[in-house]
Amino acid sequence: MMIQLVTTAQSVEQAEALIMAGSDRIYIGDSTYGLRHKGDWSFPAVREVTAIAHRYGKEVTVAVNNLMHNEQIKSLPEYLKELKTIGVDSVTAGDPGAIRMIRNANIPYWYDAQTLVTSARHIQFWGKRDAIGAVVAREVTLTELEIIQQQIGLPVEVQVYGPTCIHHSKRPLLTNYFNEIGRSNTLAEEREYYVSEPSDADSRYPVYQDDNGTHVFSEDLTLMGQLPALLKGGLHTWKLEGWHAGDAFVDIVRLFDKARSDLLNGRFDRHVMERRLAELQPEQFRLGTGLLLRNPEEIK
Amino acid sequence: MKKRPELLAPAGNLEKLKMAILYGADAVFIGGQQFGLRSRAGNFGYDEMAEGVAFAHERGAKVYVAANMVTHEGDIEGAGAFFCKLRDIGIDAVIVSDPAMIEVCLTDAPGLPVHLSTQASATNYETLRFWQEEGLERIVLAREVSMEEIKEMKRQVDVEIETFVHGAMCISYSGRCTLSNHMALRDANRGGCAQSCRWKYGFFEADELLTDEMAARDEEPFSMSSVDLAMVRHIPDLVDAGVDSLKIEGRMKSIHYVATVCNVYRQVIDAYCADPEGFEFNPAWEEEIWKAAQRELATGFYYGVPTENEQLFGKPRAIPQYAFAARVISYEPSTQMATLEQRNHFRHGEEVEFFGPGFVRFSQRIDELYDESGERLETANQAMMTVRVKVEQPVATDFIMRKRKAGVVSTPVPSPV
Repeated sequence: MMIQLVTTAQSVEQAEALIMAGSDRIYIGDSTYGLRHKGDWSFPAVREVTAIAHRYGKEVTVAVNNLMHNEQIKSLPEYLKELKTIGVDSVTAGDPGAIRMIRNANIPYWYDAQTLVTSARHIQFWGKRDAIGAVVAREVTLTELEIIQQQIGLPVEVQVYGPTCIHHSKRPLLTNYFNEIGRSNTLAEEREYYVSEPSDADSRYPVYQDDNGTHVFSEDLTLMGQLPALLKGGLHTWKLEGWHAGDAFVDIVRLFDKARSDLLNGRFDRHVMERRLAELQPEQFRLGTGLLLRNPEEIK
Repeated sequence: MKKRPELLAPAGNLEKLKMAILYGADAVFIGGQQFGLRSRAGNFGYDEMAEGVAFAHERGAKVYVAANMVTHEGDIEGAGAFFCKLRDIGIDAVIVSDPAMIEVCLTDAPGLPVHLSTQASATNYETLRFWQEEGLERIVLAREVSMEEIKEMKRQVDVEIETFVHGAMCISYSGRCTLSNHMALRDANRGGCAQSCRWKYGFFEADELLTDEMAARDEEPFSMSSVDLAMVRHIPDLVDAGVDSLKIEGRMKSIHYVATVCNVYRQVIDAYCADPEGFEFNPAWEEEIWKAAQRELATGFYYGVPTENEQLFGKPRAIPQYAFAARVISYEPSTQMATLEQRNHFRHGEEVEFFGPGFVRFSQRIDELYDESGERLETANQAMMTVRVKVEQPVATDFIMRKRKAGVVSTPVPSPV
């Protein structure tokens, strides 16, 4: 059985390092058509990273998973044509209009409508419309993920590391907030902002603003301890999000690569691996399991 | 003359359904016992639905059922039978967002029209084209779509478009927010939303806590709470853009809200469509809308991306609040006596307003108040009690008597637990 590590990348250099560390598929995107990717992923960079990945027998997926407005949809066919020419392996998409165009452009796509993808039948709907796999909502529990994967022939992507988006507003909520409290010009791209929930002062939810509005992320998820269950449940597409992991991300991916081979060789030691991940984890962000290990009945 | 768009109103229960239609709605949307997103709204059983459909159809109005849950494994069980039952009852369409539910409806209950819910965030013409090809009759647009974008959609695709004109709104793209799931274990996409966006959050830059520093300067905590939508002044733009259905939000809202808001939008739509050139906005319409307002009002994304002025920060501005005091059961012109069913406490000497369908409204003081046996009363203080009041102008069955509440609107910040 083939376990695939899918990793975000913030530069061509990082992408190459990630491939060396064990990544099988590099996930990138531009903010016009994709959601929440750091780095410059204009065509020359996409071309370069695709050439590198293919040289190592690896893949590149480009995010086309934005909620498209008319203006974006108008220019999307041109963008897809260029991606096709470059030869990227697949895209992600959740907007039915974008999917219509992606099918016309003959590019394989992973169905990714974010928080809305929650059942096997929903995924099958898109499977019948050529999706090659699906990114399932991170709110779906592991119990449910296993049931979903059993029912469908398409691979289901599970996030095994990093934060996930839990709120997307089209509004510039940080700018609005700074205007409200009279702090002008404080919104700089290199600055990072976080909120904590009222009943948990230690929580840290990254808040990020770009052309597509405002995005709130969850705590850093990890399923390191549950990798044996994923393997057993047929959940073999593992996504790692390096949003704020910085330089540690390559080492984190390497650790998951080792976890994968340990698992396949029957040498996986959960406690050692969890400890090593904790050591690599940037200290200001705690690791958690989000809703993944909840009993589905607990969520009302 | 212009083609009149449909006025679509929320109906949390049978009484609200009837009042919405009496006060001018061309269609109402309701929830069934299953598959909806408002687990706490009064939802309709099949018998009530049938009664609602009969009432609506006799008056040329339509009834839609919202079944816009984002289903998890197991949730969809019974959906096919549910849709068939709705079709057989005579429901005019269902409002669905989950493709799995759409597929079940189209295959298992052919003949039942399907509308795409706003929860699916349709934001471009190509998406409209996709769903039209799949067999959907109408698309409820995402609230993030602008007036110019609607016009472009209408130029590109010939499918019915429904947009929100009034009511509360998610600050996120609807469906794309799971703050409530992660922070309160309540699934926003299955009817459990804890309104986490409206909470007050601690705010940090990098790993430095800004909250203490900000608190020292008495700065407002971070929040993501949207004011409400009101397009009452801009109906001509929506009609000219070719929107087919104008939707009012609020299945959880009161009868007073439903009647007031329907009454106003009915007037505006009719006035504009009857005589577009001669149309003048009547300030009384807006004045009336404010009587049912629960937050500040703005125009959402229609004319630009909302700024901090369209978010709730600090103390809410005082908006006088009105309560549903009584409903008129009957009226005797000869004696000018109205028989009322009490809904909220009121007393002799109090200033009240009566209003009815067709934007009839007047204020008066309650000078004569009697109980059923004709005894003078000081206060009407029992729920649903029948009383008689002398009215200064003619009223009719189903008129509403409202009164100013002592307080002002200040929608409380929802608590995290």
